[in-house]
Amino acid sequence: MVLIEVSNLKKSYGKLDVLKQITFDVNKNDVIAVIGPSGSGKSTMLRSLVHLEEIDGGSICISGDYLVKDGIYSKPQEIKRITSKMGMVFQHFNLFPHLTVKENLELAPRLVKKELNAEIERRSTELLKKIGLSDRASAYPAKLSGGQKQRVAIARALMMNPEILLFDEPTSALDPELTGEVLQVMKQLAEEHMTMIVVTHEMGFAKEVANRVIFMDNGEIIESGLPTEIFTNPKFERTKAFLNRSLK
Amino acid sequence: MSVDYFNSIIKPMLLGAQMTVLLFLIVIVLSIPLGFILTLAVRSRFKPLSWLTQIYIYVMRGTPLLLQLLFICFGLPMIPVIGDYLVLDRFVAACLGFILNYAAYFAEIFRGGLLAIDKGQYEASQVLGLNKWQTMTRIILPQMFRIALPAVANESVTLVKDTALLYAVAVPELLHYAQTAVNRDFTIVPFFIAGIIYLIMTLLLTVLFKWLERRFKFD
Repeated sequence: MVLIEVSNLKKSYGKLDVLKQITFDVNKNDVIAVIGPSGSGKSTMLRSLVHLEEIDGGSICISGDYLVKDGIYSKPQEIKRITSKMGMVFQHFNLFPHLTVKENLELAPRLVKKELNAEIERRSTELLKKIGLSDRASAYPAKLSGGQKQRVAIARALMMNPEILLFDEPTSALDPELTGEVLQVMKQLAEEHMTMIVVTHEMGFAKEVANRVIFMDNGEIIESGLPTEIFTNPKFERTKAFLNRSLK
Repeated sequence: MSVDYFNSIIKPMLLGAQMTVLLFLIVIVLSIPLGFILTLAVRSRFKPLSWLTQIYIYVMRGTPLLLQLLFICFGLPMIPVIGDYLVLDRFVAACLGFILNYAAYFAEIFRGGLLAIDKGQYEASQVLGLNKWQTMTRIILPQMFRIALPAVANESVTLVKDTALLYAVAVPELLHYAQTAVNRDFTIVPFFIAGIIYLIMTLLLTVLFKWLERRFKFD
C-alpha cells in the first residue's frame, strides 16, 4: 500500500534549484534512508512533506489526500489534517525547554487531539518506558543528555500516533557515543513496522535497518534501491564517489 | 537627632513613599501588557502599523522622560482649541507619561526575548498540530517572559528611582517631603532617610525577581 506519493517536486531559492523533479513512493512499513552530501536537498525534501517548506511545483499525496497537487496547495485546514498523519524528529530535538519530559509528551495530545487524560497518561507512561526514560518524566530537557533528548523527541512524535515518522538527521547533533541509543530506538520502531523516512549520515543504520536507500545529490534523486544494491553495487559515479568518501 | 524629630519627619516621608509605591504599581501593571502589545505591533505584517510603532518607540526612548512628563502636564493644556480638555490631574498625567514611556522600553525587551527563541520551537509546534494561538500562549510566551525576566527586573528597579521625577511636576512623593524637611530644618538627615527607603524598596524588588528567576529556571 502506497502511503506517500511524491512526483516532480520542485523548489528554488531565486536562481538556485534546491529540488529538481523529485519523484518517489513510500509504501506502508517502508524504512527509507535518504543519503547524500550536505546541501543536496535531503532535508528540504523531507521538510516539504510536513509543510515546513513550500514547494514551487509538483505533487505530494499522503495516504490518498493531496497536500499539494501540481504546485497548488490544499486549503489550510486540509493541510493541517493531512500533515497530522506524520510526525517529525529534528536534528536539534526542538524539545520545549520550559516543560518537563512528561509535559513535552502530553501537551499536543491534550491541546490538539483533546484526548482523555487517562488515555494520554497511559500512552506517555508506556512510551517513556519504551525509550528507557521512565525515571526522567519530571526532568526538564536542560537536565538530559543529547541522546536522551532525542529519545524524548521521538516519544513526543509518537504520542500523536502518526502513520509515518520523519527523521531529519536525528543523530547529527549528537556526540558519537550517544548515537547508538537513538539508533536503537529507531531500529526497534522499524521492527514494529513503523513507516519511516530517515535523512541520515549514518551509513551503518541505512545498511542495516532501511529496506530502501535513496541517494540524492544536487537536488536530484540519483539512484534508489535496496541497501545491498546501493552500497555494494552503485550504478552511478556520483553515488560511488559519495560512498567512498563517507565509508572511509 | 531626637526620636521626636525623627518621628516628625518619617511620617510625611512614608506618606510620600506610598505615592511612590502607588505610581510604581500602576505603571508596572499597565506598561508591561502595553509593551507586549507594542512588540506584536512592531512584528505585524501590516507594515504601516509596524513603522508607526517603531517611530513611537524611537521617540519615547530618544527623549528624556522628564521632558515627556512636563509636556503631558504643562504642554498639552497649551495646545490651541483642544488644550482646555487636556488639563489632567497631575498624578494621572504623571502615570500616563510613565506608562507610555516604560511601555516602549518593555516593548524592546520583549522583542529581544522573542528574537532569542529558536525557530525550531515554532516548527516543532507546527508539526505537532498546535495552532498559532496555542503556539504563542503555550510555547513562545512562557519562554519569552523567562528570557526577558532579568531585563524586566532591571527596568523595574530603574522605575522605582524614576518615580522621583514626580517631584518635577509637583506631585508630593518621597523626595518632595525629604527636600521640604531639609530646607525647613537645615539638616541632611531626611536625604539619608529617603535614600534608605529607596534602597529598601529596590531590595524587595530585587529579591522578588531573583525568586521569580529561580522559580522559572526550568532545570
